[in-house]
Amino acid sequence: MSEKELGQKWDRCLADCAVKLGTGLGLGIVFSVVFFKRRTWPIVFGTGLGLGMAYSNCQNDLRSHYVLHSKVAKEE
Amino acid sequence: AAAIVFSDGLCGWKEATSLRQHNSDTHGHSSFATKVTIAGGAIYVAYDSGLLGDGKEGSVTLGRAKAAIPPAVEEWVKYFGFELPATPKIEFSPLDAWNSGVQKSIHALSVAPSTVSDYTKQGLKYVKDLTK
Repeated sequence: MSEKELGQKWDRCLADCAVKLGTGLGLGIVFSVVFFKRRTWPIVFGTGLGLGMAYSNCQNDLRSHYVLHSKVAKEE
Repeated sequence: AAAIVFSDGLCGWKEATSLRQHNSDTHGHSSFATKVTIAGGAIYVAYDSGLLGDGKEGSVTLGRAKAAIPPAVEEWVKYFGFELPATPKIEFSPLDAWNSGVQKSIHALSVAPSTVSDYTKQGLKYVKDLTK
């Protein structure tokens, strides 16, 4: 993996983290207001979910260079 | 049953009927089905616009959002009829600051041994001159 590619991957990671954090926060706020009587824990849970998704995406992206990718050959 | 549901904040399916009754009594007919629709709609919108997807999709969505903000802000300003104060142009780039900081510290670390030995030699020479 070249330096340039690594830099791009990190940039994507940061952007994705921002998006997922915002999404998790938003969905947590929606659920907290709609279902759970404006408590704090759904908001925190949603933010945590967003962070977890971002971390997992980042991990897969950074590892994808070293993981073997295969295709199933079509049977004729 | 309704009182027990709200004290610990959890909705069980058993209490759903009493919850629906309580809601339509107090919140003006916002039933459980309405809430499910609202929450499900929010999740669907998030899924459909690619917010919950891959890293590549996430950065694309961020770019689209960044591009869509100035027209939206302009529309809001026109709607409310006042001018927002002009945002000051900040000439600070965190990326450049971070990069230059990293380069300076690593350079300092790399010249540290030779610098330390130079200063030690100078210090020893100074002490030797004093004792002459």
